[in-house]
Amino acid sequence: MRRLGELEAEIMDRFWRWNRPATVREVVDDINLHRDVAYTTVTTVTSILFHKGHLTRSRDGRVWLYRASASREAYAAALMEDGLGASEDREGALVQFVENLDADEIAALRKALRDVGRRAQQ
Amino acid sequence: MNAAPALLGYAAVVGVAAPSVMVRSAWPHRAPALGVTVWLALMLSFTLAAALAASSLATPTEHLHAGLVGLLHACGLGSGDARPVAPDPSTAGLLATALPGAVFAAVLGAFAHHLIRAGLLRARHRDRLDKVGVRSDRLRATVLPHGTPAAYCLPGFRSRVVVSDAAVRLLTEAQLEAVLEHERSHVSGRHHLPVAATKAFATVFPWVPLARHAREQTAVLVEMIADDRALRSHPDEVLATAMYEIAAGRTPRGAFGAGGTTALLRMRRILGPRRAPHPALRGSVASLAVAAPLLPLLVVCPPGV
Repeated sequence: MRRLGELEAEIMDRFWRWNRPATVREVVDDINLHRDVAYTTVTTVTSILFHKGHLTRSRDGRVWLYRASASREAYAAALMEDGLGASEDREGALVQFVENLDADEIAALRKALRDVGRRAQQ
Repeated sequence: MNAAPALLGYAAVVGVAAPSVMVRSAWPHRAPALGVTVWLALMLSFTLAAALAASSLATPTEHLHAGLVGLLHACGLGSGDARPVAPDPSTAGLLATALPGAVFAAVLGAFAHHLIRAGLLRARHRDRLDKVGVRSDRLRATVLPHGTPAAYCLPGFRSRVVVSDAAVRLLTEAQLEAVLEHERSHVSGRHHLPVAATKAFATVFPWVPLARHAREQTAVLVEMIADDRALRSHPDEVLATAMYEIAAGRTPRGAFGAGGTTALLRMRRILGPRRAPHPALRGSVASLAVAAPLLPLLVVCPPGV
């Protein structure tokens, strides 16, 4: 399972870096520069990525051309929104370290820290 | 004897009076794990009292042994082949078994629903995270490329601790370690389970003050447990300054809704003297936590009756 997740990430990484439509063949060739991977495996995993909605595809003659359905930055931004609890989902699936505070609350934190610092110096 | 009034009275104490005592007490913040246990015990106790009261109301004239056996049977605790020993299979007898069963099924169902829903959301998040984020063996965390300083975790199956690269740049090595230790503690302590339990309870009994308080307080208490865990291996100021740096490094939230954030509460607690409550207090609270779920049973079936 871990292998599969890694390969998914490797494939997505290519599509994000290239930022253009590409064939499975191109992806396989590029991954093969670093390590051996079977064409059929990449075909399978690419198709999984398509069905999960990470890739879109269009036909060019007899081959499929794939491309990322959203940029890496858009993915990171959506994840961060989840992580900060800012998204619609209030199910609390994720637990963040500090919630977003307003300016007054941040000032109160600073004051609490300063007071301790002052006591330590005395 | 009909136990319904006694049970309803007991439910009122557990559902209304006990939470307001808990919220006003100082000890839960000093012994947060015990605090979470007591909230869970109160919810279990209330559920049991509500289930037994329902059963009792359905069979107003009878002592509840039959209903109780039925209840245990419904929970899968009774001996396998024992039929509920209702004196006669009347509608009342059936209700006496079915009502408490339904109360428990509702709570357990809501718990399962929350766990599954949150699990699916986390799985979806993890699927995307593993494509965008970079696993760091050194940090034992996934680094998410994003300009907002943040740290969070995906508890449960195939857990992840996540930190944004802005946070990695912002914090010192020691601060970062303290934050990650806090998050790892959420994962290893399975803090999502008690939190899901409070949500399940609130789904079934939304109008009971216990539901709201248990939900809010448990969320705060698990943060405190994680803070304490991080403070075992990291100095107070390191965790406190990390908290400040992350909060201050973000765009401040527009101020609407009074307070509600626990950051200042946690910060004062981290920096202040932390004394565990007296062992006698701990002991009595712990025994109360054990006794609370059993009390409704005693009301229904006093020993020797």
